[in-house]
Amino acid sequence: MDFPSSLQPTLFMTGPLGLSNVPDMSFMCSWRDALTLPESLPENFKNEAPHLATGLLWEPETPGPLPLLPPGPDPWDPGVTAQDLLFRGAFPFRRRPQAVLDVTEQLSRFLWDHGDIAFAPLGKLMLENFKLEGARSRSKKKTVVSVKSLLQDLGGHQPWGCPWAFLSYRQRRFSIIGGPVLGKSVASLLGELLHEELAMRWEQLLLDDAFTGGALAWVPGRTPQVGQLVYPAGGALDTLCFQEVRLPPGGHPQALGDPGHIQLRGPVRQVVTRTVQGESLLAVRSDYHCALWKVSKQGRAAPLQVLQVGKGATGISLSPHLPGELAVCSRSGAVCLWTPQDGLQQVYKDPETLVFCDPSPWRWADFTAHPRVLTVGDRTGVKIVDTQGPPGCGLLLFRGGAEASCRRGERVLLTQYLGECGPEPQLPTLHLICTQFSLYLVDERLPLVPMLKWEHNLPSAPLWARLLPPPCPGCPRPLLLGGQGGHLQLLHLAGEGASAPRLAGPPQSLPSSSDSLSAFPLLEPKSQWRLQERLKAPTIGLAATIPSSASEPVLSLFQLSAAGDVFHQHLHLQADPGPHSRAPTASWTPQATACCSRWLKALLDVPPTPPVWAAPTFSHRRLLGCMEQRKVEQKGPEGLRAAMAAGRLLRQKDVGSPPSAGPPPAPEPGPEDELSARLEAAWQGRMAAWWERQQGRSSGPGRQPKRRKRRTQLSSTFSSLSGRLDLSDATSPPHSPDRASPEARPRPPVTPPSQESTQELWARGVPSERQQTLRDYMARLPLRGDAPRGVRSPLSGTSSVRATRSRPQTLQDGAAELPPRRNTRRGAAVSSSQTSSVRATASRQQALRKKPRMGF
Amino acid sequence: MSDFSEELIRPKTEDDQEESCLFSGTGMSFPWLQKHIGTVATGGKKEKDFAQTTNACLSFIQEALLKHQWQQAAEFMHSYFQILEDSDSHKRQAAPEIIWKLGSEILFYHPKSNVETFNTFADRMKNIGVLNYLKISLQHALYLLHHGMLEDANRNLSHAETWRYGEKSSSQEVLINLIQAYKGLLQYYTWSKKKMELSTLDEDDYAYNTASQNMLNHSWKTSVNLCALIQTPGVWDPFVKSYVEMLEFYGDQDGAREVLTNYAYDEKFPSNPNAHIYLYNFLKREKAPREKLISVLKILYQIVPSHKLMLEFHRLLRKSEKEDHHKLGLEVLFGVLDFAGCTKNITAWKYLAKYLRQTLMGNHLAWVQEEWNSRKNWWPGFHFSSFWAKGDWKEDKALACEKALVAGILLGKEREINLFSVDYLGCENSALCHRRWVC
Repeated sequence: MDFPSSLQPTLFMTGPLGLSNVPDMSFMCSWRDALTLPESLPENFKNEAPHLATGLLWEPETPGPLPLLPPGPDPWDPGVTAQDLLFRGAFPFRRRPQAVLDVTEQLSRFLWDHGDIAFAPLGKLMLENFKLEGARSRSKKKTVVSVKSLLQDLGGHQPWGCPWAFLSYRQRRFSIIGGPVLGKSVASLLGELLHEELAMRWEQLLLDDAFTGGALAWVPGRTPQVGQLVYPAGGALDTLCFQEVRLPPGGHPQALGDPGHIQLRGPVRQVVTRTVQGESLLAVRSDYHCALWKVSKQGRAAPLQVLQVGKGATGISLSPHLPGELAVCSRSGAVCLWTPQDGLQQVYKDPETLVFCDPSPWRWADFTAHPRVLTVGDRTGVKIVDTQGPPGCGLLLFRGGAEASCRRGERVLLTQYLGECGPEPQLPTLHLICTQFSLYLVDERLPLVPMLKWEHNLPSAPLWARLLPPPCPGCPRPLLLGGQGGHLQLLHLAGEGASAPRLAGPPQSLPSSSDSLSAFPLLEPKSQWRLQERLKAPTIGLAATIPSSASEPVLSLFQLSAAGDVFHQHLHLQADPGPHSRAPTASWTPQATACCSRWLKALLDVPPTPPVWAAPTFSHRRLLGCMEQRKVEQKGPEGLRAAMAAGRLLRQKDVGSPPSAGPPPAPEPGPEDELSARLEAAWQGRMAAWWERQQGRSSGPGRQPKRRKRRTQLSSTFSSLSGRLDLSDATSPPHSPDRASPEARPRPPVTPPSQESTQELWARGVPSERQQTLRDYMARLPLRGDAPRGVRSPLSGTSSVRATRSRPQTLQDGAAELPPRRNTRRGAAVSSSQTSSVRATASRQQALRKKPRMGF
Repeated sequence: MSDFSEELIRPKTEDDQEESCLFSGTGMSFPWLQKHIGTVATGGKKEKDFAQTTNACLSFIQEALLKHQWQQAAEFMHSYFQILEDSDSHKRQAAPEIIWKLGSEILFYHPKSNVETFNTFADRMKNIGVLNYLKISLQHALYLLHHGMLEDANRNLSHAETWRYGEKSSSQEVLINLIQAYKGLLQYYTWSKKKMELSTLDEDDYAYNTASQNMLNHSWKTSVNLCALIQTPGVWDPFVKSYVEMLEFYGDQDGAREVLTNYAYDEKFPSNPNAHIYLYNFLKREKAPREKLISVLKILYQIVPSHKLMLEFHRLLRKSEKEDHHKLGLEVLFGVLDFAGCTKNITAWKYLAKYLRQTLMGNHLAWVQEEWNSRKNWWPGFHFSSFWAKGDWKEDKALACEKALVAGILLGKEREINLFSVDYLGCENSALCHRRWVC
């Protein structure tokens, strides 16, 4: 093989990252790279016109990519965002803004949302010290507290902590005595786990390396115009789809028929294909499994072997030299060569990182020009390892340090071997290394010194790269670089054989799927927002192909988003537009907008995601009183739920028998009713009589309203914190309106039953991102032996909340003419002080009916 | 030099450079962290309007550049100059470099830009950020060089060469060395032009003497210029090459050898294959003994076993009298054919077929076995698969024949016929006759 006879002058400095006084020799300008030094005599050089193709441009056909396939049936939700995790306090403006994880709020939210899980085990331990129901404890034991009265006091507490809230002595005592126990156990056990979880989520939000390499692949078919896209689909990305796509010359790609499916047991993270010696192979990486398929000429996939990776796989690559050979790397730091015939051969193992210490367990392996030599990479560098040599030795190919003039904090995000199989491999020794700032091309024959460095400045992590064959003989090769946020950059790579690789022309950016928004019709805000979110979904895969038969070079580009959408765009090579032509701007064609509208219609037909979580309403008192009745009363809420899910009216028979205790309380005549009474009288033509009556009344019990008013004020002052029986829904904690109780929301019928069934019982209703925390937490519980029971029981407690909570609702429905809130509150206040001796199990309807009257 | 005093007072600290990149707990920096924080931080003092507009402007320029909208980028650039008046001195200091990078990029590609515009811009920028003077001068010279204006480039470099600022820092020193080296390279160009002229002149001519005198002068200057840089660790191929050529021309063989040996064997330098290749070529020109050549190529073999010089290396080893050289000769051939880019190298296959036979004749079966043992589990699939057999047979019959021979020797009869059944249709005669000969 030829080695470039003369390399670009480069300073070589050893040292750590971000060495400050090294003159950065790569000046970041794309043109600087094009300035190859003249090798021959200056005469020849002088005649040479500037050979840089300034007009080299891949021109997109539309301003943004278009959807290729209809949206999947599963709803999609963007998941955790920075707003959910970061401290939102008022930061003074600082030079170096910092991200502060808001553990306090998360913990408090967790305690509110899943108090049963957080406190139930502790409650079990303290069960002896609580008296759960019935009248006030007559026992003299100081250690037994009546929960009912405690909760009565608590009833008025606002969830977000009203500083002026009233604290009863009982509450005070309880919090002083119980505080350390409650606070410590929850904070120490849960807080730690929660912090860990939050830190992990935040890291994942900053960089989600699971999809490194990309989960979308193009398998060429028998003719250049036909091929298959292989990608994961489904809400959990666990269905591997094979979609045949036709690329008509000059037209847009068309999906042919429905995709073939393979159902897997885990989410697909990476899909790799290669055609080696005429044999198309397909390798798939999941979190803990890797699998290999052989794709026949007809496009059918036949499974070859599945590999389980205990510690979790981080990367898989297919050999470009030998069919069916793979390199797999795991979180433990091991790299294996894997062939279906011979099984696994561990090539390298080192839990430490290569150059300096970095906590990331991410590892990567790829092949080199020598079929028995691999590259092993981590965040700090890349090493060349001979699989046949003694274990552990090898040369560093790339070092995160002064050698490549890396910046401080710079880390390797992707390494890729750019050589490919084929009779005449081009660039057979080049490796691409991407960091969050720059892109490096390193020749394995000259380690440590990058042949080319380009600061890509992508606003998201570059996790995908595709090198394509030259579109026409002698043309530079397009190198696509894809960021997680859907950002795409295209570099023109020239130089092979005896000349060093260089950029031929300035790199260009390609439209991302959020640029397609203008192709969609304007929608009402909620749908518009949904569309925007969908288009902004992070990219998880990139595939591109240049159909060779086309007369004019065309590049077809496919992008897979985390929502499962495949978008495509079509680019034409504009060879040399002349010095004075402007970069053309593409516009939407009617076909494109029609395609988008169709897709949008299908998208809006997909029911939206159920909310990930919803704050429960805050009402404990009913919980105690109605413990016994929940079995009887369950039909009501269930019926309500069913009716809401079906979107029909709630009928009597759905609810079951109406409250049988008697007629609803009669409307209370009050001063408010004066108007209606007067109007009624006026309509009936008996205005004069009404006036008479009114005159007479004002002289008699005229002072009563005033007194009543004063009393109302007083009672509301003193007992503003005591519980209200029937206002739980109306005065629930001031959450935002969309955080209604989960019970009140219809369970979406679209939730796939499989997903539901796979979840453990206790995990139902718990936001998926918190389940791990719970699992960890429960693993530490003292009740480990019967953990499922210990957790299920509090949940059954919540189900009783459900059962009882909707009861007053039906009641209120029946008693629509109940006096307005103020009266009821007053009544409740009285009842709380007076009915304490009444057994809580007494019929609540009765109490309700009585209350207003008792208030007077 | 408007910022002169300020820069003296406050030298750049590490803090300045970090400003744009943000770190997480792991020490990794995330350029996109700012975006996340931006979505959350609502309260507090906001960035000033001035900073907001300049930031927005910067991103517009970058976007326009990546979309090849040079005119638009130039228009935005016009507004971006306001950053030079930023009240934040950190930003103000970083600004000239950013402006230079973006501005030179725009001017390089802008359809209406020309060398004069670029010159004006470069000259202005040199004096705005004092610290960037050398860098900008160098790039300016490269630009001129690229446009064929060697004289101007030379003048530029000469200016920069004499420039000094404050205490000479190590980075300044490297840059000055680099500038001098480029100047030396330019002088080399002139020199080699003169050499060409000289070769057309008659030796007895009067003009010849003056011309050669001229050349001598140039050479002396150039050596001064190039010397300093090539002591610094790095990849300096064009400089070393031209320097050695000049030294050789004037008969300073020892000097040239020293330069090349130092370039190839100094441990502080990266292991640049070209350094060894230059040294080898020099020694070859010098008619150095075979032993010497072999020792140079041995090192190159360790660095780049796939290099095309390896076939030459093999020839040298084959001619050598030493037995271990013969063994190495076999190793080298196997080594070349290990690489994906060399599988179609018919010379290598020819050599291997011949040499295998020779080795086996010389009763060195163990050597072959030793080489073959590490390859027997992958060479058949890599070289001798039926896919390649078919392809080779279709494209290059000679290659297919050579491969068939090697496969025959290495794999034995059954495998060969199995895998190379296609080949046998064509090269039956030759291959079979060889086989008979081998067995």
